[in-house]
Amino acid sequence: MARNSEGSRTVSLYIHIPFCRSRCSYCVFNTYVGLEHLITRYVAALCNEITLLGKYSQHPIVHTVYFGGGTPSVLSPPQVARILRSIADSFSLSDEAEISLEANPSGVDVLYFRALRQIGVNRLSLGAQSADVRTLQLFNRDHTWRDVVQAVRSARQAGFRDVSLDLIYGAPEQSLEAWARTLDETLLLAPDHLSLYSLGIEPGSAMNVWIGRGSLPAPDVDLAADMYEYASGRLVQAGFEQYEISNWSLPGYTCRHNIQYWRNLPYLGVGAGAYGFTGALRYSIVASPAEYIRRLQSVETAPEGLSPAVNQDSIEYVDRDQLRAETMMLGLRLLQEGVSRSRFADRFGGTVEAYYEREIETLKQAGLIHVMEDRIVLTAKARLIGNRVFMCFV
Amino acid sequence: MEEKNIRNFCIIAHIDHGKSTLADRLLQLTGTISDRDMQEQILDDMELERERGVTIKASAVRMMYDAEDGRQYEINLIDTPGHVDFSYEVSRALLACEGAVLVVDASQGIEAQTLANLYMALEHDLEIIPVVNKIDLPAARPEEVAQELEDLLGVPAEDVIPVSAKTGDNVKAVLEAVVRQVPPPGGDPDAPTRALIFDSHYDSYKGVIAYVRVVDGVLSQKDTLKLMATGAQVDPIEIGVFSPGMLTTGILRAGDVGYVATGLKTVHECRVGDTLTTVRNAAAEPLPGYQQVKPMVFAGLYPVDNDDYDALRDALEKLQLNDASLVFQPETSQALNFGFRVGFLGLFHMEIVQERLEREYDLDILATAPSVEYEVVLRSGETITIDSPAELPDESVIEEIREPWMKIQVFTPQDFIGPIMELVTKKRGVYETMEYLDASRVMLTYRIPLAELIVDFYDRLKSISRGYASLDYQFDGYEPGDLVKLEVLVNQQPVDALALIVHREQAYHKGQKLVSKLKRLIPRQLFAVPIQAAVGKRVISRANVKALRKDVLAKCYGGDVTRKRKLLEKQKKGKKRLKMIGNVEVPQEAFMAVLRLDED
Ligand SMILES: Nc1nc2c(ncn2[C@@H]2O[C@H](COP(=O)(O)OP(=O)(O)OP(=O)(O)O)[C@@H](O)[C@H]2O)c(=O)[nH]1
Ligand code: SF4
Ligand SMILES: [Mg+2]
Repeated sequence: MARNSEGSRTVSLYIHIPFCRSRCSYCVFNTYVGLEHLITRYVAALCNEITLLGKYSQHPIVHTVYFGGGTPSVLSPPQVARILRSIADSFSLSDEAEISLEANPSGVDVLYFRALRQIGVNRLSLGAQSADVRTLQLFNRDHTWRDVVQAVRSARQAGFRDVSLDLIYGAPEQSLEAWARTLDETLLLAPDHLSLYSLGIEPGSAMNVWIGRGSLPAPDVDLAADMYEYASGRLVQAGFEQYEISNWSLPGYTCRHNIQYWRNLPYLGVGAGAYGFTGALRYSIVASPAEYIRRLQSVETAPEGLSPAVNQDSIEYVDRDQLRAETMMLGLRLLQEGVSRSRFADRFGGTVEAYYEREIETLKQAGLIHVMEDRIVLTAKARLIGNRVFMCFV
Repeated sequence: MEEKNIRNFCIIAHIDHGKSTLADRLLQLTGTISDRDMQEQILDDMELERERGVTIKASAVRMMYDAEDGRQYEINLIDTPGHVDFSYEVSRALLACEGAVLVVDASQGIEAQTLANLYMALEHDLEIIPVVNKIDLPAARPEEVAQELEDLLGVPAEDVIPVSAKTGDNVKAVLEAVVRQVPPPGGDPDAPTRALIFDSHYDSYKGVIAYVRVVDGVLSQKDTLKLMATGAQVDPIEIGVFSPGMLTTGILRAGDVGYVATGLKTVHECRVGDTLTTVRNAAAEPLPGYQQVKPMVFAGLYPVDNDDYDALRDALEKLQLNDASLVFQPETSQALNFGFRVGFLGLFHMEIVQERLEREYDLDILATAPSVEYEVVLRSGETITIDSPAELPDESVIEEIREPWMKIQVFTPQDFIGPIMELVTKKRGVYETMEYLDASRVMLTYRIPLAELIVDFYDRLKSISRGYASLDYQFDGYEPGDLVKLEVLVNQQPVDALALIVHREQAYHKGQKLVSKLKRLIPRQLFAVPIQAAVGKRVISRANVKALRKDVLAKCYGGDVTRKRKLLEKQKKGKKRLKMIGNVEVPQEAFMAVLRLDED
């Protein structure tokens, strides 16, 4: 790893697991169906990549690890254990490290979760998506709501204290009532953390094709706005705090890994299609699992601290202006913490106003940001139109 | 070179019949361009011409040709545009020539601009060399087309030269015919110098570059030259010929076509149509110049960013040097601030000017809907001329509004007569005559208001005739019409730049279409925006652009930062191109919406 410009020796680590049993209809992530036979070699490649990076960067402290996908729960506990061991061997894995893993509600049980818990995973994120049968079908999810209920129960039984659920709203033909029911059902499960995503129709997804063909209506953005507002109210009632535009948690249960992103601090990305940010440059790893495995076979160095599997075309040097812009764009997503004035000044050697005087003034006038003594945050009315604010800084 | 060994000719034709491609072959044949440097339609050197595959500017080029009679000839060729909007380019090229190669597409036959350009050439007494092109096409019917040309010109069909400009087949015969049939220039090399400026462009180092045809005497770099109309004197920076790039020769003699780099900075001192002479031995009489063309349509051009006003004026002035038909004057709009009222020869011309301003001068500009020039007779007896709906006085003081009518000729296979009739009637046109061109093709003549002609008439004609119909038109006269002003209010404010003058019977229909079109074009704002169309005080249509509720990236994690930043940058750029009208952001397309009212 290039020494990050903040002089900090604490990083986060993202591990991408690009395998799924079926593809969801909205999904354009880097994931593959039917490549399960590669998993063993893929895990070996991951371990090799982690070892190389740790060695080169002189074993920085890792304070969060995140297994994302894809479907990380396709890994067996020994495979996860092997990866975590490579991290512990090549980095300084802090004792309090947050270690999250995304799991699919189907195909998991208490034994599986218990094993994960034992090897050190301490946070689970379950892709629940919807309690509505029709919406789950539309999404082509391979599980039912009962599976979600069962998975949460198993996680608790296995001793997980920090369980998060992902939900999606704003699906075509989804009513506000159906969404309210999903929220009710979800709250009954007493999660510690919730990520609520407005459905985006991405080019390349099956849904995009259906909508293009006219066999499915496009989502109603106004209704999605209503759903968002409804959820905000409902979750506050239930004791949640909205700490990011799409994320809610009970006190003390924010996701430290994701906060690293929003504070624009460095993270290493390993695994096919993973993205990383060293503090000075952004990069991604080759997308194809087979190519990834090939690139990591019998290599023993990581030139310039970059993975041998890095996608050369993806490397982007982040200059000061861009770093500042991204710090604003990302930081303002944190609704409570916002952009910390002191951290900003330490990092860039000037106040936010010194760099963005006009922008701050205009946004303040428009009632889209609060400028406080210690930080700058979005106002309540800006949450749904955040782009109008972020745009001013890029 | 002696005058008797010089030939000057231009290539004229209907659009796309292959003029520029034929020019390519002639340049190759004479070795003016090596095969290595050759590219398709090499004389179409403007970026826009290459992209669209259309000639916009006439270009001159000098070739040296060793003819079959054993002598070497200097041949000056001018390739001209075929689009009807650029016929002024053709007319100026004609004055620099003694002959014209008339090209006709062997699969299409004689079309509207074939005739229009031919008549222009005949008016200037040019020797016509008829050529049938594209004989390589499977659908080619060269004998029939040659017969059509015989009927038209009275030359025997067997004298019509069949060629394929694409394959190069028989193009040498064209040069031989030029050498044999086009008369040499016939000016007086010893008389006081007279050279006609038929075009120009601006070069930031060499100033105005005048394209000249020397009629009498000699233009030499050593002489101080004088422009006879403006009186401006210049010591030329450079004199030369197009080959096809600018090639210095230091001298141009009677009969030659070439250029003079004047060093002058503005169009006002060096007008197209002026005559160059020498100070030392000035000519007594200038050459007959050109008639300034009258623009047909007018539109407001405004910088998107108000600070670009001066830059836009500079750009228009520079462009005027390269486009002698362009006229403009300052205009103020309540909605759009400071800009210019610009006159164009047609909508295609308008589109090209707009694009050239944006590309060649890097300006973001906004055009209002095009309008024609109306004569308004006031109750007071006075008659005023307006070319913008915003200038129309209050109904109460108007006695009568007169609008320009055109005579049009539509060339079409007879299968499409029905739909064309229908289209013309819908556009308030009146049928006049029909003539058979041959067994299956006719020429229809109509009269139609110009205002209807400029709004998507041509596109619709093309589409209902599957591309087969062609069109030519001439101004016919002014006639009173039952016309009213259709006003558009955005967020309760009338927007002058969106107002239209329409026929009373169409007001309701157009108002509705326009409102629903604007509703789709105006992006949702942070508040609801009502849009209304009104005639006088009466609102005839309304719609609401709902307030924007949601505009935020739902997901943004480590993997997305670069992509998300780029999305935001793109969104920001898009917003910059919107124009603030009051507190409403309006896209440029909204101002042109009126052109596409019947589309969907
Ligand atoms: N098959 C065939 N195509 C030709 C021939 N000559 C020209 N073309 C094609 O016809 C199209 C128009 O050719 P241009 O040379 O650009 O026509 P033009 O008359 O200069 O067109 P404008 O200047 O726009 O009026 C191009 O696609 C040429 O490749 C020919 O002899 N045979
Ligand atoms: S589980 Fe996640 S990564 Fe896999 S297909 Fe569904 S959305 Fe995509
Ligand atoms: Mg051409």
